Amino acid sequence: MTGDIERTLAVAAGLFILGAIGFLTRRNLILIFLSAELMMHGVGLTFVTFGRMHFSNEGQVMNVMSLTVAACEAGLALALILALFQVSRSLDVELWTDLREEDLPNPVSADELTSVVPATAPEFPKLTPAGRAPVLPKRQVVIKRNSSPKT
Amino acid sequence: MSDTVLWLIPLAPLVAAVLIALLGPKFLREQSHLPCVLALLVSFASSLMLLCHFVPAGFGEHGHDHALLSTGYDFLTVGSFTSQIRLSADAMTAIMLSMVTGVSSLVALFASGYMHGDKGYARFFAEVSLFVFSMCVLVLADNFVMLFVGWELVGLCSYLLIGFWFQKPSAAAAAKKAFVVNRIGDFGLLLGIFLIWTTFGSVSFADVLGHPERITEIAAGNPGLMTAICLLLFLGAVGKSAQFPLHVWLPDAMEGPTPVSALIHAATMVTAGVYLVARCTPLFLAAPDAQVTVAAIGGITALLAACMALTQNDLKRVLAYSTVSQLAYLFMGLGAAAGLESATPAVSAAMFHLFTHAFFKALLFLAAGSVMHAMGDVIDMRRFSGLRKVLPMTHWTFLCGALALAGFPLLSGFWSKDEILGVLSEASHHHRHGGLFVVLYWTASVTALLTAFYTFRAYFMTFWGPEKFPEEAGDHPHDATAVMAWPLRILAVCAVGIGAVVGPTGLFGDYLHHTIGMPASDGHHMHLDVMVISALIGLAGIGLAWFCYVKSPSIPGKLAGSLQPLYALSLNKFFLDEVYLLCLVMPLRGVSRVAAYLDSQVLTRIVDGVGRIPGLLSQAPRFLQNGLVPAYGLVMLLGVVAGMLFAISYLK
Repeated sequence: MTGDIERTLAVAAGLFILGAIGFLTRRNLILIFLSAELMMHGVGLTFVTFGRMHFSNEGQVMNVMSLTVAACEAGLALALILALFQVSRSLDVELWTDLREEDLPNPVSADELTSVVPATAPEFPKLTPAGRAPVLPKRQVVIKRNSSPKT
Repeated sequence: MSDTVLWLIPLAPLVAAVLIALLGPKFLREQSHLPCVLALLVSFASSLMLLCHFVPAGFGEHGHDHALLSTGYDFLTVGSFTSQIRLSADAMTAIMLSMVTGVSSLVALFASGYMHGDKGYARFFAEVSLFVFSMCVLVLADNFVMLFVGWELVGLCSYLLIGFWFQKPSAAAAAKKAFVVNRIGDFGLLLGIFLIWTTFGSVSFADVLGHPERITEIAAGNPGLMTAICLLLFLGAVGKSAQFPLHVWLPDAMEGPTPVSALIHAATMVTAGVYLVARCTPLFLAAPDAQVTVAAIGGITALLAACMALTQNDLKRVLAYSTVSQLAYLFMGLGAAAGLESATPAVSAAMFHLFTHAFFKALLFLAAGSVMHAMGDVIDMRRFSGLRKVLPMTHWTFLCGALALAGFPLLSGFWSKDEILGVLSEASHHHRHGGLFVVLYWTASVTALLTAFYTFRAYFMTFWGPEKFPEEAGDHPHDATAVMAWPLRILAVCAVGIGAVVGPTGLFGDYLHHTIGMPASDGHHMHLDVMVISALIGLAGIGLAWFCYVKSPSIPGKLAGSLQPLYALSLNKFFLDEVYLLCLVMPLRGVSRVAAYLDSQVLTRIVDGVGRIPGLLSQAPRFLQNGLVPAYGLVMLLGVVAGMLFAISYLK
């Protein structure tokens, strides 16, 4: 019995680590997403295993619940991936580095990118401005930036 | 005598104030004076009931000294210190209240005509109601803390009303000056109250003032302490009652509307200082040094203010200096208790003069307001003259007030001034302080002469001589309308008659000494010799003014020319404002410039520098934020691993 549990836990840990490695090394958005799913299922397996160890069904219940959540999450994630794809016509994750600090250079050089962004960018919906523009007090805190603008 | 009547006195004006403040600008508009006048009349009626309640059964006996008390709620409890909102009324309170509410009713009525058409009509009456409420709180207070609350409230109302026309820079400056100068006095009063608390362990009048033997004991143990308490309280009175050296705010306070000058800066609020000193008579009795100081300050102020009043060209300013001078008279009277067997005649004389002064000074101010109203807000006496034909009603009422102020025989000012001079002359027989009181007696007499002279100088310059109007008055200046005339008439009757009714009959003194802590007295004295002298002095002053300003009007000009330095000294108020500017205001302004520089240049930079530190520190890990999703994933994974390791090591 104990041996079974350890073996099952080892499989779960293997699943988790494989998923983690995939998540860190893959550049394809869908594969990254699949790796994340793999990690989650590794964790789900440990739930079931520990539930079994304690002769309780709670681990399985938990796993079924997380599967439900994962299903929703998969829908959302795939929709996001689709949206990203519509903008860039590519699944390469390295196209999306806009969240970096604004004066840092792009870590991905241009020739590394798998595909070139097409010129036809779809129109994003815009919110109509509402309310009043904020009136700032006279004395403003000016944050000085000592570097050049984004290259 | 029910509690309701007692509470009605302060609360009716408060309700009116709130009502006018809330409804005035939108709904009441031109009717805003109605709630105010109505509430003041209610207060006045209640005060009269209170006054009647204290008429003792055996009039003239001493011993009906229990005050009427009514507790509201605990205002403040800190450790063993408790301060209550509690009303307390005795004879002195009743007299003050009747005077305050009576005069303010008349002034409010007058103001409803005078302020007609002003943009701040509702605001004016809300503030006047608030003022009367505050004054009633001050007078009805049962303890020093509540008195202080009332004291500050009247100061606030005075500030608001002096600066009523705050669009005028001079009015705004005058309001600020009054407030700041009063702060100095209030500070003294506050310290005095602290000292009373540490000495007596209570701030209630009954506990502090009601046990003369205890006060004597404390004073015998530590005479310096009692003197310090009294001097600090007197400092408060000096500020509020505009005595030298803090008198500078009162003449400037004339920037406010004239009814306000009549009510607050002549009849009621400025007498709060006198009331405080009179109320604390039992304390002052135990500190003769403080009493002598009170009398001396009174003497200095009386003479100084009278000299300043001699050359002023602004009718209201003449009256303002006269107020300062008359208040100083009251302090001289109070201080004279140091040289008397019993303090009661001195306090009674001072309170009597306070009472009559309120009527004739309010009358003079309102009459001056009526002149101002007719002359298109011009108050410079050089620009108009000979108004007695055009403004007959104003002329007669002003004359009544002026005669009463000058101490014309048998008018109210005569009786009360005589009583003060009487106690001063009695005090001059004292073995220790006699010399001082001889000097003060003559100072007071000279002041009386000057008073008669400058009052009638103003009277003759305004109402006699060739008829002349400023162009602001229009073609045809008109006398006061009915709503303004009736208060003047009533006040004139009071100014003429009230002294003769309650003075020589001894009614006032007998009534007043039924006040807590007021020592028994051997009764009322008439001072025939003093009376004759003061009557002669008054007549001489009037005659002199008539000679200089009616008979041969060239004399004042020549006199001013030949006594140029003295004339300039008086005209410029002894350059006291300039001295204060040089010695106090400018150094303080320098200090505040330095402080402002330190604040904006040094402190701000330090604070900004501290604020920049987190920004600088975060420069180091910035490169981690490179925007690559796998990089974020790696950092997250490492973080989870680190957390796990920490948790495992913690579990072990």
